Amino acid sequence: MLGNDIVDLELAKTQSNWRRKNYLDKIFTTEEQLLISDAENPDMMVWLLWSMKESAYKIHNRKTGIRDFAPKSLNCTIHPNTYGEVNIDGDTYFTKSSLQTAFVHTIASSNCHQLEKIKIAIYESPNHLFDYKSTNPGCVSHHGRYLALVYEALQLS
Amino acid sequence: MNKEQIIDALKTIVQPYSEETSALAHIDENTDFINDLKINSANLVDIILDIEEKFNIEIDNDSMAKMLNVKATTDIIAAKLEARAGQ
Repeated sequence: MLGNDIVDLELAKTQSNWRRKNYLDKIFTTEEQLLISDAENPDMMVWLLWSMKESAYKIHNRKTGIRDFAPKSLNCTIHPNTYGEVNIDGDTYFTKSSLQTAFVHTIASSNCHQLEKIKIAIYESPNHLFDYKSTNPGCVSHHGRYLALVYEALQLS
Repeated sequence: MNKEQIIDALKTIVQPYSEETSALAHIDENTDFINDLKINSANLVDIILDIEEKFNIEIDNDSMAKMLNVKATTDIIAAKLEARAGQ
């Protein structure tokens, strides 16, 4: 199973004020809040961690059938080269993120070897792939100007 | 405060975060914040914070986990208000 999440940084800037009192405390663990306060670019760190949580949640939700809003129970660890790990209730999801000026995109898988094989397609409006469902993506994320699709490696052959 | 009053207050809180005018107009217990109102999950945090401020209550993480629709949210607010009144 695959997960992905894209954040349009321009929209995030106007849509969410993460500097609001108590905001970070509702979604990030103490360790994650330290990563944000120590970051050279705190905005980027907020949305990187957020997209890691969202992409991992999308797999965990399908796997367990549990739908909830518990971002703090998803624990992120950041490794070099924008790789990462998200732990939730003993399950681990591996992530790889792409940090761009205009967006942050994270892919997630429960198998770390599968990460390299995921095919990614990102569309910027108005050039969206209209009938993307027929391409049978493993996961879909849509935010602001961006539509991000990920595909299992097997579907390519 | 009864359930209808809580739902009314909730409607005012969620409005700025949704562009689904028709779903907003017909908001009831069955309305789902994400599926029906298409609220961005990062804005769900704002809604939780707005609820804390408006009702002067504290939403713990376990309660927040359930607050994906109007019914669960109304029940949690009512229970917190009742607990406070009983103190």
